[in-house]
Amino acid sequence: MRGLPVFILLAAAILSLVYAHLLNDYWMHVAIIALFYGILTSSWSLLAGYAGLFSLAHMAFASLGGYTSALLVKWYAIPVPLGVVAGVAMCCAVGGVIGWVCLRLSGPYLAIFTLAFSEILRIAFSTEDNITAGMAGLHTEPLFHTASRLPYFYTAFGLLVFSLAVMGFIVHSRWGLFFRAIREDEQAAAASGVAVARFRILAFAIASGFAALAGGFYAHYIGVLTPSVGSLDLMAVVVVMTVIGGMERIPTAVGGAFGVEALQEYLRAYGEWRLVFFGFILLLTMRFARNGLLTPLWLQFLRLGEVRGARPAARKAGQEGSGI
Amino acid sequence: MDYLLVQATNGAVIGIIYALVATGVTLIFSILKIVNFAHGDLYMLGGYCAYYVIKFLGAPPLLALVISMATIFTFGVLIERSLLTPLYNERTERKDEYGIIVTFGLAFVLRNMALIVFGPFAHRPPSFVSGAQHIGSLIVTNDRLFVGGVGLVLIFALLYFMNRTIWGQALDAVSQSRDSAAIVGINPRRFNSLAYAVGASLAAAAGALIAPIFSLAPDMGVLPTIQSYVIVILGGMGSVLGSIIAGILLGEAETLFTAFFPDPTRALSYTNAFGVLVLIIVLIFRPTGLFGRRHLRME
Repeated sequence: MRGLPVFILLAAAILSLVYAHLLNDYWMHVAIIALFYGILTSSWSLLAGYAGLFSLAHMAFASLGGYTSALLVKWYAIPVPLGVVAGVAMCCAVGGVIGWVCLRLSGPYLAIFTLAFSEILRIAFSTEDNITAGMAGLHTEPLFHTASRLPYFYTAFGLLVFSLAVMGFIVHSRWGLFFRAIREDEQAAAASGVAVARFRILAFAIASGFAALAGGFYAHYIGVLTPSVGSLDLMAVVVVMTVIGGMERIPTAVGGAFGVEALQEYLRAYGEWRLVFFGFILLLTMRFARNGLLTPLWLQFLRLGEVRGARPAARKAGQEGSGI
Repeated sequence: MDYLLVQATNGAVIGIIYALVATGVTLIFSILKIVNFAHGDLYMLGGYCAYYVIKFLGAPPLLALVISMATIFTFGVLIERSLLTPLYNERTERKDEYGIIVTFGLAFVLRNMALIVFGPFAHRPPSFVSGAQHIGSLIVTNDRLFVGGVGLVLIFALLYFMNRTIWGQALDAVSQSRDSAAIVGINPRRFNSLAYAVGASLAAAAGALIAPIFSLAPDMGVLPTIQSYVIVILGGMGSVLGSIIAGILLGEAETLFTAFFPDPTRALSYTNAFGVLVLIIVLIFRPTGLFGRRHLRME
């Protein structure tokens, strides 16, 4: 039974799809937001965890995608999915340009640069209120004209599965290897024949595209879009989720998003203290378990169904791979 | 013309405050080789600390400033000892990444905690010196003059400390080479704590000084942090003098930009974007800054 983990995941997915209608409205909303964060954390993990590019502009791209889509739909009355696709295309392009501009920057310089970009974008969105309605919020066309949240749940689920499939394919192809080579040592990667510039730009473009996908969905789900989607606080939430889960693997990053979002609702009675709590968990994770809290669990999970003690080669393969 | 002069004076005061925050960032960077993303939150804590000392102990503002600096100094040592020690461990991989995430997370914790403990509403401590000076037709409040003066004193004290005292020279030695410094008998560990704590207390001083002019709010640190990165990168990472010059330059440039922006309703929001734009241009064309020191580049 070497494929046991895959079957378990499939079964869990099918069960959650079949029984989704049993959730009440509130928890349905929580689930949708968790799926939304899942797309964001997995793409940030691709960028920061795999390629080692610490962008703090991930939420800025989500808000850029959301605004692009919402405004295009509003002005030209194009169908919503087309608007979201346009937002994704826009962010891939802008992300590529940002990736190109900061080719020479590394580590903290890149973080500062993207922080600056993110702030400029947020300031511009809130100041140009004759276009974006500023902090009052831009009313967006809903994706479905129904009272139920069920269709949104299915859409978010589909988008997450699609994103994970694409990103899973990328990180298991040679590209994923190149990304990790760049993270470990750029010069050594270049010396081994990796086109560092091209792959840094690609990593930015791909991750920004997925951020825009999440942002576009969010814009047409929530109905009101404000510039605070691109704020540093939300970026910090994405960082918290990804790092707590484990930023070097996409499934653990998604697990972190689900776990933190669920806990956040569960601990609702504690109000604002939750964020402080998660911040402390982040610090403790970084200090004592840098691989993330879910990584050991995930590796254990991947080993399910293997004959104990046998086939060291297969176990090694399980450790190297990232699942899904 | 008068308007221009008033704006220039205000710009110089703001510039001195920026320079205080930025020298802290640059000092921490030159020793610990990390960018402190929590710097703005130390600035915020410094402001609140002085405010509560004045409010509950009835201390005079200048004493409150000193107490606040001392408190944040201690807090800085605690942070450095508890969170940043893996940076000096040879076995830690990708220290850049560790530094970014830990300080970013620390900023998140401090900001949200301040929001709960201090409340979301703005506080304004009493001014240091009331009244205003009339120089010709120019009116400058005493507060701003006082803040500028104390800020300058602190900056000169720092420059003296860095250039003329044995500890400052030791800090410079550690920033140039940790190993060589250890060989000549400097304990790098102690100076890591010292650098972080001095940087933190400079930020606290800036926060305490600015509080009567602007107000205190839990998110007051966000913009000064970004401005201090602009300054540090403009002045060159690791160069204390560079960041002082760049700080005053940026304060002036921003105030004049606000004063002469064609659309006054938007001027204030775009002031911040202006600094960030400067940052992006400098990062693209001259990542080492105007006064960058080669051995401190991270590339």
